[in-house]
Amino acid sequence: MSPPASFRQVTAQVLANITLARDTFLIRLKALEIAAAIRPGQFVMIRLPGRTDPLLGRPFALYDTVLDERNQPFAIDVVYLVVGKVTGLLAQLRENDTTEIWGPLGNGFPEPLGREHVALVAGGIGQTPFLAHIRELLGQRGYGGDKARRRVERVSLYYGVRTADLAAGVDDFQNAGATVHLASNDGSLGFHGFVTDLLDRHANPEHLYGCGPEPMLHALAQLAHRKGIPCHLSLETPMACGVGICFSCVTPVKTSDGWDYRRVCVDGPIFDAQALHWRE
Amino acid sequence: MPDLSVTLGRLSFKNPILVASGTFGYAREMAGVVDFAKLGGIIPKTVTRQPRIGNPPPRTVETPSGMLNAIGLDNDGIDHFLAHHVPYLRALPTAIIANIAGKTEAEFIEMAAMMGLAEGLEGLELNLSCPNVSGGVDFATDPEVTRRVVAGVRSVCPLPLIAKLTPNVTNIVPIAQAAADAGADAVSLINTFVGMAIDWKRRRPILGNVTGGLSGPAIKPLALRLVWQVARNVRIPIIGIGGISNIDDVMEFLIAGASAVQIGTANFFDPTVSTRIVDQLPSALETLKSGSVVEVVGTLSA
Repeated sequence: MSPPASFRQVTAQVLANITLARDTFLIRLKALEIAAAIRPGQFVMIRLPGRTDPLLGRPFALYDTVLDERNQPFAIDVVYLVVGKVTGLLAQLRENDTTEIWGPLGNGFPEPLGREHVALVAGGIGQTPFLAHIRELLGQRGYGGDKARRRVERVSLYYGVRTADLAAGVDDFQNAGATVHLASNDGSLGFHGFVTDLLDRHANPEHLYGCGPEPMLHALAQLAHRKGIPCHLSLETPMACGVGICFSCVTPVKTSDGWDYRRVCVDGPIFDAQALHWRE
Repeated sequence: MPDLSVTLGRLSFKNPILVASGTFGYAREMAGVVDFAKLGGIIPKTVTRQPRIGNPPPRTVETPSGMLNAIGLDNDGIDHFLAHHVPYLRALPTAIIANIAGKTEAEFIEMAAMMGLAEGLEGLELNLSCPNVSGGVDFATDPEVTRRVVAGVRSVCPLPLIAKLTPNVTNIVPIAQAAADAGADAVSLINTFVGMAIDWKRRRPILGNVTGGLSGPAIKPLALRLVWQVARNVRIPIIGIGGISNIDDVMEFLIAGASAVQIGTANFFDPTVSTRIVDQLPSALETLKSGSVVEVVGTLSA
């Protein structure tokens, strides 16, 4: 069932829009109510106002909240890779430009099972939901009005990219207290190969969280199943609305009598890896 | 304050701004951002007799100033709708119009009878025109079939009826006339235009269903023309639909001959648009020095 709708739609001023890596940017948007309510793993829809082409908003994960001098959240950071029309135009925005945004959307990361060690596994631009998640897990920051509370002793981030110059935010993850293990497809950064193969060589964490391309998520779900580790995955599917009214963004999920489509925007984007109906 | 209320056959709405089926979920998704009491009415997502899993993704793709959708009437069936959604919907402070699609004429009639027994519905919209159901019959491409379905539903269901028509026809006028003759209280004009999008590098269609229905600002001129054409030729109240995204679009449809409108795709890219338009309606009427919505309907000088 859908969680209660509590999102807000606001016109958000751009406070900064800076380059993090090749084709990868961080945009800071002033949005008081959304920043105060949003939790790690949730997302916002961002739309370029005053035009009908591109028409629809696009979903972007929370990178992290931004706090004022009294430690109150007043803005959000979103990290994006330029892949198409909307992200190309986003990259051209400057300070004081505006965007139309609505959120927080989606369910957010669930509590970890285990208090010692959890691992976050990212591929491509799938690292973006994990900065806030690391800070929440290590008790550095509270979200959605909750006080900061340490949930685990150690967080490892396994982060795989195609090539070195696409790695974005590694300093942020390290500064937040995660142990970062890097991998690249071409060997130009860290382990030469898939990030899931690197993970497989290390000691088992108590809980896995993944975000990235579907083949990586599928491999991670299989690894988690084989080793008996609880695993939650953050999915990305094409969305028109982000709020549950268009039924575009569905993914197959196991049911008692087979499978059915579920909306990624309201029933996810975070799903139990073993609940997903993977098609070979 | 101008009089915003409108009457279409046996239907009455506090204002002419409704939200379109398939673009507002089952309303509960929007409870946090839309003050339902402000809306003229809500038309929840199309319901079918049996649950339908819907089409494989991708189900939507953006196109210039619009989008194609091929959701495929993904829904949990009428039994679930009556048990789970109607109790929530009928408690909302606005008119609720259920929307049904049958695979056959008999199924339309069976479902209409079931909806007629439900408490708290203001009316029933017949989706005679979903373009995305493989193997389904596009009822509203044929005036005689349209007449039979509307008349059959009318004979078993006491609710006011709206026939939602397809633009994918050579001439929509005889189909609207058939709906009127069979006793529909209003027609909704129009459903989506069938279109497609192609990834030429992969030589593949982008949508899982290959074709889909085009909606959004791109279709507004096409919808306006169809509303105007039916308004001039058929004596039946019209609910205008097609790319309506702001107050100017609403006024254009009213002038063209629609007595009410439905906001559709705009709910996707501007979730609070519907009530914002309601707030802007009085001042738009004042611009025309009109004291009511009714007096501007169908006042195009042409």
